[in-house]
Amino acid sequence: MNRNYVVMLLLMTSLFLAACGEKTAVVESGTYTGTVKKVEADKREIYVTLDDGKLLELYFTENTELVRDSVNVNFTTLQQGQRVQVTVEKVGKRLDPERVRIME
Amino acid sequence: MAQLPEFLRTEVYHPLTVHFPIVLLLIATAFKVIALFVKREVWQLGGRILLAAGVIAAWAAIYTGDLADGIVSRQICDPTVLYSHEQFAYTVAWLFTAAAFVEGLSLTVRKLGGKWVSISIVLLMLAGSGFLTYVGHLGAKLVYQQAAGVYVPSKDCSEFEN
Repeated sequence: MNRNYVVMLLLMTSLFLAACGEKTAVVESGTYTGTVKKVEADKREIYVTLDDGKLLELYFTENTELVRDSVNVNFTTLQQGQRVQVTVEKVGKRLDPERVRIME
Repeated sequence: MAQLPEFLRTEVYHPLTVHFPIVLLLIATAFKVIALFVKREVWQLGGRILLAAGVIAAWAAIYTGDLADGIVSRQICDPTVLYSHEQFAYTVAWLFTAAAFVEGLSLTVRKLGGKWVSISIVLLMLAGSGFLTYVGHLGAKLVYQQAAGVYVPSKDCSEFEN
């Protein structure tokens, strides 16, 4: 392969990767259902893809309640792919999760 | 009476580290642009060293930024700015890493030298510099509009009395 093509490929790949990235959404206070896309245990943070496709980034606070079958559970119970119902309070553009219910 | 917090808090490591890649990578880009037109080794070699140091500093800043993220995201009023800041910071780091990779390849693979490769590297670095400027702008917005990672003194400044 011509060396120029290799460099061009690297360049285009880099610019393509640079353009990638999904935006997080801000929604009104309320209760929403969706699927856990990612769990960041060390930050006590989850990403939830809502049923309408919006992506929420939620940082648990000390007041966030996490329940499964009406029982409080540890953050480690949360896993990628789980269906959840989240109740959030919008503060400015920050979404504080008040309650997260694991639905399965 | 309010207590003055420790200076070296987790969220403070980021501002302590983030200015190194900004300076190193922007000057590296300037060196490499000049090297396209001025055939003195100092510009090429200087740009190469600054780029390598800048890439290492960029990933260090990403690491400290990630540490700060877990703290300030719970305090600021618009974390979407922080999310964009983080996403574009990764863009910057990858663009300059790609430039350093191509630079390294051009040094080790003889056939890969030449003006065209140098132009490709500079293009990557110019794109990276553009994103770097924007990331810096978002970082400044986080600090000066939302006080991200900043301790706000009490009204009576009592914590500074001792």
